[in-house]
Amino acid sequence: MTQNRFPNPVLDAVRHSLGYESGAPLPPHPLLPSARAAGTPQAEIALLLQEIDKVSGHTQQLTTHNLDTALGALVETENIRTATVWNTPTLQCLDIAGRLKHLGVTLVPPDAEKHTLAQCDLGVTEADFAIPDSGTLGLLSGPEKPRAVSLLPAVHLALLTPAALRPDLHQVFAEAQHHGYLILITGPSRTADIELTLTLGVHGPRELYVWIFESPGE
Amino acid sequence: MSDTPTTPIEFRRYTQNLSPAIPIAIQQATGQFFEKRNARVAELPEWELLRDVGHRLRLHTLEHLDAYLEQAATSLSAAGVQVHWAMNGAEANAVVLDIARQHNVKTIAKVKSMATEEIALNTALQAAGFQITETDLGEFIIQLAGLGPSHIVVPAVHLKKEEIAQLFKEKLGVEAPPDPEQLTAIARARLREVFLAADMGISGANFLVAETGTLVMVTNEGNGRMCTTLPDLHVAVVAIDKVVPDWESLATLLKLLARSATGQKLSTYTNFITGPRKTKGEHGPRELHVVLLDNGRSRMLASPLTRETLKCIRCGSCLNVCPVYKQVGGYAYGWFISGPIGAVLTPQLLGTKIAAELPYASTLCGACAEVCPVKVPLLDLLRHLRRRVAEGDATTTPIVSPVLRGVARGSAIALGTPWLYRLGARLMPLLQVPVRRGNWIPSLPAPLNRWTMVRPFMPFRARFRRWWKHHKKNE
Ligand code: SF4
Repeated sequence: MTQNRFPNPVLDAVRHSLGYESGAPLPPHPLLPSARAAGTPQAEIALLLQEIDKVSGHTQQLTTHNLDTALGALVETENIRTATVWNTPTLQCLDIAGRLKHLGVTLVPPDAEKHTLAQCDLGVTEADFAIPDSGTLGLLSGPEKPRAVSLLPAVHLALLTPAALRPDLHQVFAEAQHHGYLILITGPSRTADIELTLTLGVHGPRELYVWIFESPGE
Repeated sequence: MSDTPTTPIEFRRYTQNLSPAIPIAIQQATGQFFEKRNARVAELPEWELLRDVGHRLRLHTLEHLDAYLEQAATSLSAAGVQVHWAMNGAEANAVVLDIARQHNVKTIAKVKSMATEEIALNTALQAAGFQITETDLGEFIIQLAGLGPSHIVVPAVHLKKEEIAQLFKEKLGVEAPPDPEQLTAIARARLREVFLAADMGISGANFLVAETGTLVMVTNEGNGRMCTTLPDLHVAVVAIDKVVPDWESLATLLKLLARSATGQKLSTYTNFITGPRKTKGEHGPRELHVVLLDNGRSRMLASPLTRETLKCIRCGSCLNVCPVYKQVGGYAYGWFISGPIGAVLTPQLLGTKIAAELPYASTLCGACAEVCPVKVPLLDLLRHLRRRVAEGDATTTPIVSPVLRGVARGSAIALGTPWLYRLGARLMPLLQVPVRRGNWIPSLPAPLNRWTMVRPFMPFRARFRRWWKHHKKNE
């Protein structure tokens, strides 16, 4: 780093106060406690589901056989009329869009205009990461994975496979840091701003459904 | 909301005509947050270790802030972000106004942020004719009510649901029952329109990762995501102390922050934004600006003690345990930040002429320093600032003089060692002979004369042990 790459009063003032030779190599920063170690896959899945339930999410373990039943129940309980689905290989392979259409739901492309997406009752995504310990999902973004799908619709359904499990934030960060965007989601949108009463769905989705598929071959 | 104070903050006067609703609501809120925080902390056996790493990490970053800032600016530019530097609030506001004008902005959706409160950005934008809406539910409510925040996390906690229903009726023209869920639904619908219509989103950031130029924002409601995902233009005002070296450090700090602030393992939404969107369909802003704000912080870096103030990650824990804050709430502190951290930050940013009362808004009980997840030495800072109130802001003398520190150490040893104590007790009556006048010690030689300036001393007698022995025998 050269000294005058960003000649500006703020940096000058900082340097002046610190009294350091700028451009001196940085000493290593303090050691971090080691990240949490993962349990067995079964234990990790059980923990993930339990923690998501604790933060008011709805969880279910599924196979392709009972997917239609689960979708049918979701469409009915949440009164879903319009939906939007990410175009990822897994979701396409599971034919979520086709199955929803079959249930009478109108589908909107995920990269639709924001006003259109805001009218959707359901947004379906696939979690890139899941951290069992805190019940957290990690979602990246891309042309086939638009950001607003997990944000604007009233209900968010996130699907995932055990391949998404990571023991701790550290592993998620190691993989996600070079992507332009990452959102960590822990439960549905919430507030306690009025008289400290917990209220779900203030701006983001009011319900969060997380369905985990068993590993292929199981 | 509250503009930068230019006249002395009257903490004591404010506390004298406080509405009784405030302490009740504040105590409920702080109690609840603290309980949840304790539950989360108890789950983590390595909490103290984590805290220690958090503290050293923040200090390390501040000690090399020039290098990390430069790295952050390079990474931000590489990610396609336009970087601006602002020496003070006026400069930062001017930058944001410029950006808004260049883009023909009309409506702005804003996420609550400490940095924008500090520079009174809303006032500047409103004065220039822009329509700006605070989108956190609590902030939205107090903006409607025309009030300032009373708590860092739940700013409208002192308002009852009935009052909010009345407010919605008057200001929004909607009839609403006094029910948190229905009131929230009304605000949700109203703010949806704001998000979808806004041409510009304004936010702060909880952290800025130097390694990759990533803005990190922590929210629970999702309004932060709305403001930074939907409008084509996003401006983030980030104080220079928000920088963290890399994602490894970030992981540690996020764990400390969520647990300390709201007793969550992680907040509902944690956003990581590196640069503007790459394709339109992906969503996110087309253009992203970051304003790096100094506003007095570089000056605080100069002394090793005041530098420690900047370790703060704004979790609010110190407020939740402060016996003074719990009685008076946020307003009394006169500016955007309250509680113990407010009492040490405000005098440093505005000077002790304006904030003379704040370093005294504390019992020095030490609860704040004990819970702080990054070990900000709030007590030392309070004492140092009291000294500055008395001696002027130029004072750089340490909080306690080495002599006094020596005396304190010595007496600690003497009081803790029985034979030394007895010896001292025997010697004291002899030592005071030259200064004793009858039943009083009217004055002491310098530097001890400070004690006798106001009133004379009683001579030291040390009769307790003798009395006790005697008393026991007679029982
Ligand atoms: S000083 Fe410490 S406890 Fe207080 S808000 Fe800052 S980080 Fe939290």
